[in-house]
Amino acid sequence: MNDIVPFLKQLLDASGLSGNEGPVQAIIAEKWKPLVDELAVSRVGSLHGLRRGTGAEPRRRILLAAHMDAIGLIVSGIVDGFLRFTQIGGVDPRILPGQMVVIGGREQIPGVIVQPPDSLLPPGSADRPVPMEHLLIDTGLEPEEVNRLVRPGDLVSFGQHPIELAGDTLAGHSLDDRASVAAVTACLLELQSRVHAWDVWAVATSQEETSFAGAQTSAFEIHPDLAVAIDVTFAKGPGYNDHGGFGLNKGPTIGFGPNIHPEAFKALKKAADEIEIPYEVEAIPRHSGTDAFAIQVAAEGIPSLLLGIPLRYMHTPVEEVGLKDINRTGRLLAEFISRLQPDFLNEISLEKLP
Amino acid sequence: MKSLIQRLVETTGPSGYENQVRDLVRKEIENDAAEIRVDAMGNLIARKGSPQPGGRRIMLSAHMDEIGIIATHVDANGFVRFTTVGGVRPNTCLGSRVRFLSGVQGLINGEKLDSNDKVHSFEQLFIDVGAASRADCPVKIGDVAAFDRPFLDLGNRLVAKAMDDRISVAVLIEVIHQLKSSPNDVYFVFSTQEEVGLRGATTAAYGVDPEIGFAVDVTLSGDTPKGIKMETSLGKGPAVKVRDSSLLADPRVVRWMIGTAEEEHIPYQIEILEAGGTDARAIQLTRMGVPSGCVSIPTRYIHSPSEMVDFRDVENAVRLIVALLSKPVNLE
Repeated sequence: MNDIVPFLKQLLDASGLSGNEGPVQAIIAEKWKPLVDELAVSRVGSLHGLRRGTGAEPRRRILLAAHMDAIGLIVSGIVDGFLRFTQIGGVDPRILPGQMVVIGGREQIPGVIVQPPDSLLPPGSADRPVPMEHLLIDTGLEPEEVNRLVRPGDLVSFGQHPIELAGDTLAGHSLDDRASVAAVTACLLELQSRVHAWDVWAVATSQEETSFAGAQTSAFEIHPDLAVAIDVTFAKGPGYNDHGGFGLNKGPTIGFGPNIHPEAFKALKKAADEIEIPYEVEAIPRHSGTDAFAIQVAAEGIPSLLLGIPLRYMHTPVEEVGLKDINRTGRLLAEFISRLQPDFLNEISLEKLP
Repeated sequence: MKSLIQRLVETTGPSGYENQVRDLVRKEIENDAAEIRVDAMGNLIARKGSPQPGGRRIMLSAHMDEIGIIATHVDANGFVRFTTVGGVRPNTCLGSRVRFLSGVQGLINGEKLDSNDKVHSFEQLFIDVGAASRADCPVKIGDVAAFDRPFLDLGNRLVAKAMDDRISVAVLIEVIHQLKSSPNDVYFVFSTQEEVGLRGATTAAYGVDPEIGFAVDVTLSGDTPKGIKMETSLGKGPAVKVRDSSLLADPRVVRWMIGTAEEEHIPYQIEILEAGGTDARAIQLTRMGVPSGCVSIPTRYIHSPSEMVDFRDVENAVRLIVALLSKPVNLE
């Protein structure tokens, strides 16, 4: 059942911070190549895979968006051979000291994040998380070597390999949102043995963590009739067991709120109910914080849906997901897609609502 | 070029009210551009170049607008209360002078505070235009003003209000003058409303539909006493932006800029900006996406009435941009 896991681990080990998704994009392209009819890369680095449907032309199009970019760090200065850095995307500075990293400059160089002793920090800094501006990366190299090999603007990725934990869970960095790339891949695998009338555009989007640049521009380019963003959401965990989180390995979430098309939402929920995939409805009152938010208002507007994979410790190097949820998300997507009839847009038209 | 800079920075043009700047820009370039148009947002768009095979449609953007204030209330004694247009900070207001579009001048001061350690909030500040009563006050609610400060030439270093981003407007004008020919189809956009959300560049980029885009704008510098930790300094060359809080510059565009600077022996710096954004973000997100970046002029004291740049950085920015546009572009 978990044959997607080796691929996911490969994704997690690939570099590909926001705006520089090249390495991870190449791995996804190789995996998708036999699963789609056409592959292309957008002007801002999103990967587009088209799997044609069987309906009569002109066929309707559904876009599946999972972002492949990861959060990380970028070298902002060099001080006596140590590297100052800032973030790409939103990194939680509390977990940085002690992390292993890889600096991708002229060579791949390993490093560790270190914090100065309290006595060297500004007064009042003791006993609290050290702000990023005071943290440094130590590469072990002499200052002259560092100056030769590293320069401001070099990207720094987390260096830990993913670990499979007990209970069908996986921990690692960049599961946000490569878990969803794996889910879309699971969907494409499932679709190989299914008939679907609609064209399916699988998109691994770029730059979600910073500006949704990939999703916004891919939606404009592909101009789909319907879109589903797949992203991670907050799982229940330590201190997060009330109504705020969703069960880990208890099924994906189906988003609902102003970002979500209410009638398409019903159809997605119905598909989950009928094939008995467990899920929870996630109420999202404002910005969903996902590609769905950019896609919804691209071009003349696109009916948008959102599936969430519950994940613990978001934006840390030990994000944790349930593997069952990834497969369930892929299966639910494939089921929903194979149910789409050529006249589905009439079914979800908002004109008929009272 | 210094006299051009002086005329640009001493013109009043807060976001949404850029017409005086636009008129000045138009006069400067009308004999050098192949085509000039103004779009619905007030952007001035000038085209130059004779596209050859391999040439690209390139959009450059420098914003004409500056931060400013807008009158919200005039009290019985003729004091004007105001709110801000763009990122004005209250600590730079006290004692500053403002000039309304009508030409009316005034000063900003504030209510008496409990303690000298505190900074006024905007609600505690007012503009005094020398009026004795509401009837006598030449300022009406909705009137717009910018900071008023004469241009200061310190030799290599130049100081003025609105260096952000008139210095880049001056750079683009100078590029238009110096660019003899280009194999690219180049659109110079003098944009509006950058300070209130990149509004002008958003529509200009949609209209131009470029294949490559970059903004020219100011960035912070890390070379003042106990200032921010940043690698950029005044006088070490224009900066090639890698990231700010609104944009991850396209790595291909970064390589193009750095490669060109190195080939032409133009000094440059790498910019990693923690906070702030430019028109480049709006260009990048346009239509099906545009590979985008930014050439920045390191600037001290941004969004204060006395912003400082180094003239050599300005001249080198002109050289770099002329070099970028003079050859066919192959992003890789």
